[in-house]
Amino acid sequence: MNEQKKSTRSSFAEALVEMGYKNKNIVTVAADSASRYGDFVKKFPERSFNVGIAEQTMIGVAAGLALSGKIPVVTSYANFLTFRAIEQVRVDIATSGLNVKLIGTDTGFSSAWLGFTHLALEDMAAVRAVPNIAIIDPADAAEAYKATEAIFKYEGPVYMRLRGRKEEPLLPVAEKSFEIGKGQILAEGGDVLIVACGGAVYDSLKAAEILQSKGMHATVVNMATIRPLDEELLMKLTSSIKHIVTVEHHNITGGLGSAVAEFLAENNPDVRLMRLGVKNRFGTAGSEDMLKKEFGLDSESLGSRVERFLKDY
Amino acid sequence: MNLKHLQDICATVRRDIITMIGKANSGHPGGSLSLVEILVSLYYEVMNIKPEDPQWEDRDRLVLSKGHGCPALYSVLAHRGYFEKDKLITLRKLGSILQGHPDMKKTPGIDASTGSLGQGLSVAAGMALGAKLKNKNYKIFCIIGDGEMQEGQIWEAMMASIHYKLDNLTIILDHNRLQIDGPNDAVMSLGHITERMKAFGFDVCEVDGHDIEALINTFCRPSSQGKPKFVIANTVKGKGVSFMENQVGWHGKTPNAEEVKKALIELGGEI
Repeated sequence: MNEQKKSTRSSFAEALVEMGYKNKNIVTVAADSASRYGDFVKKFPERSFNVGIAEQTMIGVAAGLALSGKIPVVTSYANFLTFRAIEQVRVDIATSGLNVKLIGTDTGFSSAWLGFTHLALEDMAAVRAVPNIAIIDPADAAEAYKATEAIFKYEGPVYMRLRGRKEEPLLPVAEKSFEIGKGQILAEGGDVLIVACGGAVYDSLKAAEILQSKGMHATVVNMATIRPLDEELLMKLTSSIKHIVTVEHHNITGGLGSAVAEFLAENNPDVRLMRLGVKNRFGTAGSEDMLKKEFGLDSESLGSRVERFLKDY
Repeated sequence: MNLKHLQDICATVRRDIITMIGKANSGHPGGSLSLVEILVSLYYEVMNIKPEDPQWEDRDRLVLSKGHGCPALYSVLAHRGYFEKDKLITLRKLGSILQGHPDMKKTPGIDASTGSLGQGLSVAAGMALGAKLKNKNYKIFCIIGDGEMQEGQIWEAMMASIHYKLDNLTIILDHNRLQIDGPNDAVMSLGHITERMKAFGFDVCEVDGHDIEALINTFCRPSSQGKPKFVIANTVKGKGVSFMENQVGWHGKTPNAEEVKKALIELGGEI
């Protein structure tokens, strides 16, 4: 794998500034976390607003700006955006399909030491319960950059999950293009299909290498768009592979695992599915590595869990 | 301004409210009736609008944050020509353009969808910021309820309105003093609201919310430099229908056929 490292957050901020030059309608509204916009606030002060620690008003103000023809970006810790302000997202933005870009940060285990209040493990479930919002969880910084470009070309509300400040390795997806609603095949093998998103993609690829060394061959899909789900790709791959595993840094209820399970149950029930993620638990303080081990989502745990799944079923 | 004409329109709007809610067999008569003069003043004399072009970019905008008062707004919009008057009796019917709470995607003339209390003022503040950003002179009016002021988000949005010096924003408090569970003062007092709002930093005016002339003068007076205007409109919940006036019970209650008839007679005849 590529040794270069970068955070999804910094990559988003760089792309935002770039898009800010190209499209003067892009504006940002912060709730006392304007640093997430990187240099945008410095470069475009007249297009940068801050409502203070008031996420609900941040969403409402963004809706008002969208109704004025602007393309507002809002950001906060994912929980404060998707739980504190979910009703504002639903009533002010989603029902009217307003062109607002919702950026939730520090998702999955990336807020690590901050504990359960900040660990966003149910944010996608909250947003998925609301119609009309595209959901994106980029696998690495390079994809976060391309996804940021893509969401500004897309007309309508988008929720994008980013992680923290920590620099992460870049994946092979960096070389591929990004398109909303399209999954990417990162590895090919006929024994098991691993569908992962966001921070779980890296360890899924590592797990596939471990499985490979034991003679089990995995197809690994980076499903960066959770809604709309790439149903075509799932149908195609599950016509030949019958063991499916989803992996996400999120509760297995309401996120990628649920989306895949719901689709397959109705369209291709002839498969075995295992959803890996956080199961009916809140987060807890710890380093990212500790937390991945705690929830059985580090590459070794993933490898052995998939191996057992293949042997037992 | 022809005062008599505007008063006649208010009477017609009140009859519409009773008829619509009666036919829908659901709705909020009390808080709709308290709003009538405020809305008629705005849409007939104050706001710069083009009913034939509801999306006209330079129009003044109105956010009815207390969305349950929408029967009054629908009637005013219909009489101003945003849509046909015969649509009014479709209120709350399946497929109607007139939803139980304002839906900007369905009703011509509705500038923002509302209905969950506390949210509209933030959207109005965003519109006011948007106008300034575009160097446009249009104005934003936002009507909130007094019970609604108990929502924390209202206070967030008020802070933002003052911080950003939104002098193109007028907040109108429909101060009818009642909410579902009783008088504001019994449920959760607003305290000395005039003093509170002055201390908050608004350009505060207090007005009889049923005095059309006073309302128009208040709305048209330019606000003090850099301050959003906060108009406390003292109103009567259920105004115009004797058995509904100042009655907590008529917040969300539907009049039966007999009560509809009685109310319409009091309001000057049937439509």
